[in-house]
Amino acid sequence: MNNKLKITEKRPWLAWVLFAATIVIVFLLGLLASTIVERRMEATFVNVPLVDIKSFEPRNEVWGQNFPRQFQSYYGTSDTTFRSKYNGNAMIDMLEEEPAMVVLWAGYAFSRDYSQGRGHYYAITDVHNTLRTGGPKTPDEGLQPSTCWTCKSPDVPRIMEQEGVTQFYTGTWARLGQEIVNPIGCADCHDEKTMNLRISRPALVEAFERRGRDITKAGYQEMRSLVCAQCHVEYYFNKNVAEGANYLTFPWDNGFSAETIAEYYDNIAFSDWTHALSKTPMLKAQHPDYEVYMTGIHATRGVSCADCHMPYISEGGQKFTDHKMQSPLNNIANSCQVCHREETSRLIQDVYDRQDRIVEIRRELENQLVSAHVEAKTAWDLGATEEQMKDILQGIRHAQWRWDYAAATHGGSFHSPVELGKTIANGISIAQETRIKLARLLAGLGHNKAVPFPDISTKEKAQEFIGLDMKTFRAEKEEFLKTMVPQWLKEAEKREASWERNQIN
Amino acid sequence: MMLKRLLPPPKWMLPVAIASGILVGIALFTFYISKAHAYLSDKPEACVNCHIMAPQYATWSRSSHREWAHCNDCHVPQDNIFNKYYFKANDGLRHSYLFTLRKERQAIMILEPGARVVQNNCIRCHEQQVVDPKLEATVDMYRAIREGRRCVDCHREEGGHGSFNSLSSAPYARVPLLDNPIPNWLRKYFKD
Repeated sequence: MNNKLKITEKRPWLAWVLFAATIVIVFLLGLLASTIVERRMEATFVNVPLVDIKSFEPRNEVWGQNFPRQFQSYYGTSDTTFRSKYNGNAMIDMLEEEPAMVVLWAGYAFSRDYSQGRGHYYAITDVHNTLRTGGPKTPDEGLQPSTCWTCKSPDVPRIMEQEGVTQFYTGTWARLGQEIVNPIGCADCHDEKTMNLRISRPALVEAFERRGRDITKAGYQEMRSLVCAQCHVEYYFNKNVAEGANYLTFPWDNGFSAETIAEYYDNIAFSDWTHALSKTPMLKAQHPDYEVYMTGIHATRGVSCADCHMPYISEGGQKFTDHKMQSPLNNIANSCQVCHREETSRLIQDVYDRQDRIVEIRRELENQLVSAHVEAKTAWDLGATEEQMKDILQGIRHAQWRWDYAAATHGGSFHSPVELGKTIANGISIAQETRIKLARLLAGLGHNKAVPFPDISTKEKAQEFIGLDMKTFRAEKEEFLKTMVPQWLKEAEKREASWERNQIN
Repeated sequence: MMLKRLLPPPKWMLPVAIASGILVGIALFTFYISKAHAYLSDKPEACVNCHIMAPQYATWSRSSHREWAHCNDCHVPQDNIFNKYYFKANDGLRHSYLFTLRKERQAIMILEPGARVVQNNCIRCHEQQVVDPKLEATVDMYRAIREGRRCVDCHREEGGHGSFNSLSSAPYARVPLLDNPIPNWLRKYFKD
């Protein structure tokens, strides 16, 4: 060793040669390393399908094996940490926030429980948990029809294919409990062969047909909203299609606005329930998100739902769609700022400004409606006749429909503040007219003074005021979650284990 | 001699030669693979060394400015050479830091110092349009309105690389992305 070291001691020029040679060798090694890295990089761009996705495959994890980026971001919908001024992905007890709603929905399951929904990931869990679905003990009983499952799961197209659409809409909610277990996911919006967007729910297709449009002719950008419009819309259950069926139908024949939809419902004399206090044949707005969005400026300019709620992202040079559907308020940088150059805080303020104003007038209408229901009840108690009440009830029905149209739509106060401003203004005007008629009637019945506004400062007080026995509801729900749900999930697990999984790579 | 004094004692010659050879080799390779030499030039291709700049390159190369102004004509100061290279080095180091640590935003936005530079460069070429003595003499508030906002506030399309700003906004545009760093002779060698 020492001898070798001495080679350079005697010949210093050799050290310089070795120095230069090492530089060259290291440089070449670097190039070699680059080729290796380059070849490794190629692998990330190769889409290797791992499974053969069968038609009507409801399990999101199976699709996720082939599309890891999309699947991983989809799982982001399990996040419940974001709360904006009015909404977000955390579960907010809306009856706690606005106890007046309890009175407005007296006699209807919404007065028991109504919470701000969580992400798609929780679609099944949340519908199991809500008091609105009650506590069925057998597949043949319960509050809700099977139609309530329609928007909850990619198992739905599978069952519709098996049973037929009308059959799917027939029977109780509990009837399909063991069949429907996977939360809203891939198969709801995608074709399993081409991954193209596709409509999997018949109600939207039928509504388009009645409006004279063929939905298969919709272009790509429109489809980026229409897949959402399969569920984020106003709907009702048509009982005249087949015996025992609650046929899911969108009331769009005359248009999308609160006024035209009310006209549609009046023409078919439809009502969701009869109000427990005022005996009004009521309408419940579901969530007319698509309808309201269509009247807004973003829709007019051709911006789709996905553009803001599922913006494109690039990861390491790969472009894909962020499948964490969420409030753009939690994602300003990827959604708003693609077009708007303003600061994040400014953009958020712009949204809140619109929401504040709509909420302010919506609450005004809310209080008018509570008074109207209570006054109507007083009139009945004092012996008013149906003939005397007819116009008044029609007024309450119309005013509350407009309130609900504005209250039930998610993000509507941003999607289309002008349309909602008009809708609520109409509602306030109708409510006032109705209360004038009520005041006259009450005076005629000998009650010429104000009817006291009930103490509904909390959810509990409001529920007590309309006479709800919350203890029983909670107990039967607890029982249901302990006995029925585990049974359903076990059955489903057994079924899915029996399906062969076609691993191709 | 200075160099002689830096040399190691004779019996350390061999290991030192190899160790310093490795170090210099890696340094040269890093310089080469990052195309560091490109940044001394004014060529727009240098700016797309980082592929996240592809939408900006694509929109510029299809804009009315293409024939007249390159990236640096707008995005670095052109008042004197020291200022130019100081600003360029400063921005460049920040960009390489962000790119290396994957800290880039989905919608990349210009910072305040950069926006000031761009505004000055708009005026540098378009002075005749911006400073019109006739208008200044006859229109009240002309100067105040002119100075209170920036050209690109209104001229978004021309000056601002189109109306969409996102890493994903031009996914299929043809952009001169990085050449393969491996020389042709070596690639040929690997192929054969």
